[in-house]
Amino acid sequence: MQELANLESKLGTHAAAMRVLALEVCADRKRLPVVFPGLPRRFGKDLLREGRITFGTALLDLGAFRTCDLAAALLLLQVAVTEAEGFDLYEHGDIEERAMLLRALHVLAPSALTVRMLGEVQRTNMVLHLEAACCDGDLLRRTVGQPGFGVVEQNRMLLKIAFLDLPLARVFHAEQLANQELSRMLQDLATEREAAGRSIWRDTDRLISRAPVAGTIARILGGLEHGDDGRRLAAVEGLILLNRKDLAPFAIERLAREPRDVVRKLLVQAAG
Amino acid sequence: MLIFEPHIHMYSRVTEDYERLALAGVRAVLEPAFWLGQNRTNVGSFIDYYDTLIGWERFRSQQFGIHHFCTMALNPREANDDRVNDAVMAILPRYLEKDSVLGVGEIGLDDQTKKEEKYFSAQLLLAKQHRLPVLVHTPHRDKMKGFQRCIDLIRDCDFPMAQVLLDHGNEETIKITRDLGCWSGFSIYPNSKMDPHRMVQIVLEYGIERFVINSAADWGVSDPLMVPRTATKLEQAGVPRSKVEQLVWQNPISFFAQGGRLDVKSLERPATSNLRDTFEGNSVLRGQDPDRL
Repeated sequence: MQELANLESKLGTHAAAMRVLALEVCADRKRLPVVFPGLPRRFGKDLLREGRITFGTALLDLGAFRTCDLAAALLLLQVAVTEAEGFDLYEHGDIEERAMLLRALHVLAPSALTVRMLGEVQRTNMVLHLEAACCDGDLLRRTVGQPGFGVVEQNRMLLKIAFLDLPLARVFHAEQLANQELSRMLQDLATEREAAGRSIWRDTDRLISRAPVAGTIARILGGLEHGDDGRRLAAVEGLILLNRKDLAPFAIERLAREPRDVVRKLLVQAAG
Repeated sequence: MLIFEPHIHMYSRVTEDYERLALAGVRAVLEPAFWLGQNRTNVGSFIDYYDTLIGWERFRSQQFGIHHFCTMALNPREANDDRVNDAVMAILPRYLEKDSVLGVGEIGLDDQTKKEEKYFSAQLLLAKQHRLPVLVHTPHRDKMKGFQRCIDLIRDCDFPMAQVLLDHGNEETIKITRDLGCWSGFSIYPNSKMDPHRMVQIVLEYGIERFVINSAADWGVSDPLMVPRTATKLEQAGVPRSKVEQLVWQNPISFFAQGGRLDVKSLERPATSNLRDTFEGNSVLRGQDPDRL
C-alpha cells in the first residue's frame, strides 16, 4: 500500500484526478477505452523527474516515464485491467496509446496480457514500442517463465532488441538471460550484418561472452582491434567475462596500442 | 510556403502522392472519415477503417515528413444503412478521444433523408460532448436546399457556429456562411465543381476570412495538389503572399485548433520519421535499404 501511495504521489496534484477516473471506470468498464486515449491531454506528456525505483518485484526507471504513462499504469492497476481489456486498448490504440500501455505493463504484475503484448511488440518492429516494453525496467526478465513465454520467446525478444540497436544497459538484468542458443543467434545476426557492410549491435560481445559458443572467442578477440571505440569497449568487457587466462596475452598485446583510457583500464584488468 | 491540406482522403491515394505533397510544401494533412465508394456491411469494417486512420495511414504520412490528422464520423451516405448506423454510433466515442482526431466529420446531408438528419444531429451532440469542431459535408445535389437544412439542424442543436466548417461551398453559399459566422470550405477539383480559376475570383471578391480550400482528393478523378496549385494561381492574380499563407496554413489551423488537441508548435517541423520503423510489421520501403533513401 505504501509503495502504491508513493507511486501515486509522483503524479502530484493529478493523483486525485486519476483516482476519480479509476472509480469512473470501475463503475462502468465501457469507459476505459474512452478515457484511456485522453490521458496525455489530462495528465501531460512531460517526463517525470525521478530515477530508479522498485515496485513490488519490479525494478524500473521512472525517468523514462511521462506523466501520462504513470497515470495509465496507475489507472490500469487500480481497475485491475483484464487481458481482454488491455489487448483491446492496444488493438484499437494509436502509436502513442500503445506506447503508454506498454510502459504501464512495468507496473502491473506479469500476466497473460504481458505475454500477449510482448508477442505483439516482437512482431511489429516499432522502436518506440520495443523501448516502452523492454527498456528502462526489468519487465522482460520478470516475464520469463510465464505460461507462453519461455527461453524461445525471450531469445526472440533479445534478438529484436539487437536488430533494432537498443542498448542492453536499458534492458535491466537482461544479461541474466544469456544462453548459448541466444549467442548463436546474435553471432549469426552479426555475421549477416557484416556481410552486408552494415554495423552490428554494439552489445553483442557483452551477451555472447556470458554463454560462449563456437566462434565467440574469435569474434571477441577481433573486436579488440575494431576501429569503433564502443565495439572495443564491449569486446574487452566480453574478454573479462570469458575469464580465460590463456587469452590474457591478447589483452597485453592490445594494451600497448590502445588510445582510449576507459578501454585501457579494462585491458589491464583482462591482462590479469 | 507551408500548407495545411484540410480535406484529403489519403487512404485512397498512392505513396507517391505523399512525396509530391511534401515537395509542394504540404506539412500537414487532415483526412476526414468518409464513404469508401461502396457501402460497408458491418461495423467491423468501420472499426478497421478508423484504426487505419489513426494507425497505418498516420505512420505512412509521417514517413514523408507530413503530420497526419483526421476527423471521425458516420458519413451521411451510410447513415441511411441500418446494417451499420447504430453500431457505428456506439463505437465513435472512443475514437473521438484520440489525440489525432481534430473534429467530427464528414457529417451532414447527402440525399437529404430523415435518417441522415437523425444521425447528423446525433453527431453534433457527440461533437459537443467531446468539445470538437465539426466538418460538414453539404449535398452536391439540390445544394442550396440541403445547405439550408444543414444550418437549421445545427441551429436546433445550438451548436456554436464558429466551430462549424461547411464544406464543398460555392459562390451561392458564401454569403450564407459569412452571415452565420461559420467557416466555408471550398473543394477544388480538376474538371468539375469548384476550380482554381473560380476560387481566385472568390478570393478577389470576398477575401479569405474564415475560408479554407482543399482538394478533397479521393479514389475518383481528383488532384491532391489542388491546394498548392490554387495558391500559385492566387499569387499570380495579385493576392498578397501573406493572405495566401493565411488561407492555406493559418486558417485551417485556427479552425481545427479549436478542439484543443492540435499542437501548433509541433507543426513548425516536419513530422519525424524513422525509416527503420515498421507499423505492425509493415513499412513503406518494400525491401529497400533505409540508409540509401
